[in-house]
Amino acid sequence: MSTPAVDVHQQIGALTRQLHDSLNGLGLTEKVKDWAGELPDAKSRLSYIARLTGEAAEKVLNQVDQAKVHQAHIATQVQQVGELLAKDAPSAIARGDIAKHLSEMEQSGRKLDEHLTEIMMAQDFHDLTGQVIAKVVNLAASMEEQLIQLLIQTAPPDAVTNAPAPHAAYVPALNGPVVDSAGNPDVVTDQSQVDDLLASLGF
Amino acid sequence: MSKELRFLIVDDFSTMRRIVRNLLKESGYADADEAEDGVAALQKLRNSNFDFVVSDINMPNMNGFQLLAEIKKDDKLKHLPVLMVTAEARKEDIVMAAQQGAAGYIVKPFTKATLEDKVNHILTKAGLK
Repeated sequence: MSTPAVDVHQQIGALTRQLHDSLNGLGLTEKVKDWAGELPDAKSRLSYIARLTGEAAEKVLNQVDQAKVHQAHIATQVQQVGELLAKDAPSAIARGDIAKHLSEMEQSGRKLDEHLTEIMMAQDFHDLTGQVIAKVVNLAASMEEQLIQLLIQTAPPDAVTNAPAPHAAYVPALNGPVVDSAGNPDVVTDQSQVDDLLASLGF
Repeated sequence: MSKELRFLIVDDFSTMRRIVRNLLKESGYADADEAEDGVAALQKLRNSNFDFVVSDINMPNMNGFQLLAEIKKDDKLKHLPVLMVTAEARKEDIVMAAQQGAAGYIVKPFTKATLEDKVNHILTKAGLK
């Protein structure tokens, strides 16, 4: 008597052969080969998304930490100005204490604005990852569509399948962000390389 | 007082349009409008007056290269400086943009200083500043 583990193994083997024959019969073997080539690319794209979103979150949190220091400094300065004015306003103004505090507030305000700009710039991950996600979604949609076709064509005649029509997702026509530029001489990795290339062309 | 320059920001991601718009404002260019793709941009350019176009490349309906080509073959628009701001980092894309008449090319992600430098440089070169 065979063991359950051997039975399962044999069943998986039979299913694999059946799938292999079906794919061959439907001419999908080449498509599956394409998927095999695209899956590592999808994996590196997902890693890129994880890296970019992680970096953006880290950047925002760091900027918020630094901005809070300046905000706290401004609050302290405002409090001290209030106390000086309440105690002896003319003397505080004459000694230049008020002007000194106002100057510090102005500097902290400028720093605060710089941090806010950096927080805004960190949101550029939405655009970059969005383009990459669109490519991965397209791969998943393509696989789904082909697998539905496989199911429809191999289903028993009495099993009426109303498979939903695949909807056309927007796929960026161009390359989109470079997820892995290492060792690729055809791409630039920073703005200085863009400027050098344009300068070499006379721009 | 000189006339305020008017910018058109073209990008399919609203986040990026807002970022560019805010950066331009911080650099002293507060008059800006937005379009989500080349088709919408071309319509706005033909129906209103602009001095400068900041355009993404990878967009649906009409991409940045197609928009650039349409602008350069239109007698009323071809004088407009077009700055490409894009994630397309392939050298052939940069060369193509330059050959088609782009005034500048910025690769995302970029900094505030880079955008400000390029815009000011292009405006100076075009005699608009």
